[in-house]
Amino acid sequence: MSADPNDSTNEPGEGGHGAELEDAERARSGEPIHFYGGKWTSALPLAIFVVWAIFQSALLGIGDTTGLVAAMLVALIVSMLFVKGDWQVYANTVFQGMTQRVAATAIVAWLWAGMFADTIQVGGFVSGLVWAADALSLGAALFPAITFVLAGLLATGIGTGYGAVIAFTALFFPAGVLLGANPVLMFGAILSGAVFGDNLAPVSDTTIVSAVTQDADIGGVVASRFKYAIIAAVLAFTGYVAVGTMLGSPFDVNQGAQSLFVENSNPLGLAHLLSVAVVIATAVSGRHIIEAISWGIIVAFVLNVALGLAAVSDMVVFTAPQGSGIAGSLSFLPFIELAGPNGEAAVGGSLYTGASGFFPLIILILLIVAGAQIMIRGGGFEAIQDWLLDRFATSLRRAELTMVGGTGLVNAMITINTAAEIAIAPYIARIGERFNINGYRRANILDANSSALGYIFPWSGGVLVGFAELQTLPGQFEWFTQAMIVNPVQVFPFVFHGWLLFFVFLVSAATGFGLEYVFDREAAGVARV
Amino acid sequence: MSHLDAFTKGWSFRTSTPDFEPGQEITAFVTGHDDGTHVVRIGDTVLSLDDIDDAENGDRDRSSDGNGTGGETNLLDSQVRLRVEEFNTNDHIGRATVLERLGESSF
Repeated sequence: MSADPNDSTNEPGEGGHGAELEDAERARSGEPIHFYGGKWTSALPLAIFVVWAIFQSALLGIGDTTGLVAAMLVALIVSMLFVKGDWQVYANTVFQGMTQRVAATAIVAWLWAGMFADTIQVGGFVSGLVWAADALSLGAALFPAITFVLAGLLATGIGTGYGAVIAFTALFFPAGVLLGANPVLMFGAILSGAVFGDNLAPVSDTTIVSAVTQDADIGGVVASRFKYAIIAAVLAFTGYVAVGTMLGSPFDVNQGAQSLFVENSNPLGLAHLLSVAVVIATAVSGRHIIEAISWGIIVAFVLNVALGLAAVSDMVVFTAPQGSGIAGSLSFLPFIELAGPNGEAAVGGSLYTGASGFFPLIILILLIVAGAQIMIRGGGFEAIQDWLLDRFATSLRRAELTMVGGTGLVNAMITINTAAEIAIAPYIARIGERFNINGYRRANILDANSSALGYIFPWSGGVLVGFAELQTLPGQFEWFTQAMIVNPVQVFPFVFHGWLLFFVFLVSAATGFGLEYVFDREAAGVARV
Repeated sequence: MSHLDAFTKGWSFRTSTPDFEPGQEITAFVTGHDDGTHVVRIGDTVLSLDDIDDAENGDRDRSSDGNGTGGETNLLDSQVRLRVEEFNTNDHIGRATVLERLGESSF
């Protein structure tokens, strides 16, 4: 089991695997669970979860992560009814699964990443990108291409593709329509930028899951996946330039985009490129991800206050009830406020919301790894693994194609891509290990296809988030008509970076491009880059 | 290795059958059994492992997968350090000795 992503004791070839060995020993030596219907029934917790997730997210279009928490809870209860004999072993296995280090590592990294992302957002990072777009004075043909680049920058900074989609759909999409850019292409470019950042950012939830489940450090996976991401991105950029010059807009609004940009732009927001660079540079230089993101938070906090980008109370604030005497006397402090007459007493700010935003996902990963542990102890995991190895992954190239295809398939079905990634991760690890494929390569296959497929299909979480935001635009702008809203079905061919990233990995799996073996990282010394 | 190298590593097409030199020491996962012998598959290259000393290299058969090798140490899905003893570059097969057990599979 994975330890801290940058903990040098996790280094293959150097021993010091005490914690992981203990975890693995416990998982294997624990009492087996016997199910009515045989070992395949042990897959029931995850099977119920997957069916619920498809029903909820793909069929009903509900992207509610807490709904998936309910799914796992129901799945664990229903599955217990199929256990032979004493149910205590099953119950204990749930606890044992939840205490695995893979979940704890992801949770810690998510909390830090969430605080960082919200802090650079309250500091006006988006406003800086808006200013850059305005300063470039682009025409309709080039605007989708530059939108892709800037959305990619934002998503790389904040790590959440969904957040980038919301921010860019609210500002860049209407600006593009005003400039005369094709709306479908604009939406595709925004989704492509989200894919880029979700895939590459060290603070991305999917990047974190891919690294910790494949026993790799986060800085290392970011550096090693750069080659795939940049090939796809250059091709996607070229595609947006080419198609942007060919496809015009069916709408003529007769109003400049300038006013929209001027209201929302602030060149100082670009200062947070420094915050993002600090996180990437420290992570890639081999520092622990907690240390890397902590430096990013500190730099972002200082920049916000020093440049007047955000007040201290935007980042952390205690809003005390009105009658509080102590709060009244301390209200000179920049992080203490008194609630209004109808206001609620609360703690807030980007450090608070950034962390709390991950709470549903944190509970979900605990429950999913518990379900996976049930499947391991019930024999179902091994049965599916052997089936995949015997039937599909019979050679190295076929194994990698199975990993690419399997990740793509699960992500096409479960449209909340982090959840899908957690569910498929154990198989990517095991199939890859059976061919001694390096952890970085496994993490890259896992994350690229999770990121790409999460923003392509009409039922994908990322597309639905953007579609929801598009529907608010007619209420915000008088000139924005219902006809300008892009239907999710229209956009899927235009998510160029998503498709290209998937194809880059299909070609890489078929040809061995970028392939590294387990022994390579030791031989080349790239383990702690 | 510089930090820039981390970004430039892997810009190449890698063979599915890596070759090894006798005496070369590498880290790898033990990936299966063949007639009671542990094997290490690296891509489509296969190394058969010599018998190992139970006392030195870990516990006895811990696997519940039915693939155990009887009373011998079961190293399936363990990460080991091994030394390549002989290698046939035409067939991409060889023989190796386990030097040390390092860890376990991620799952």
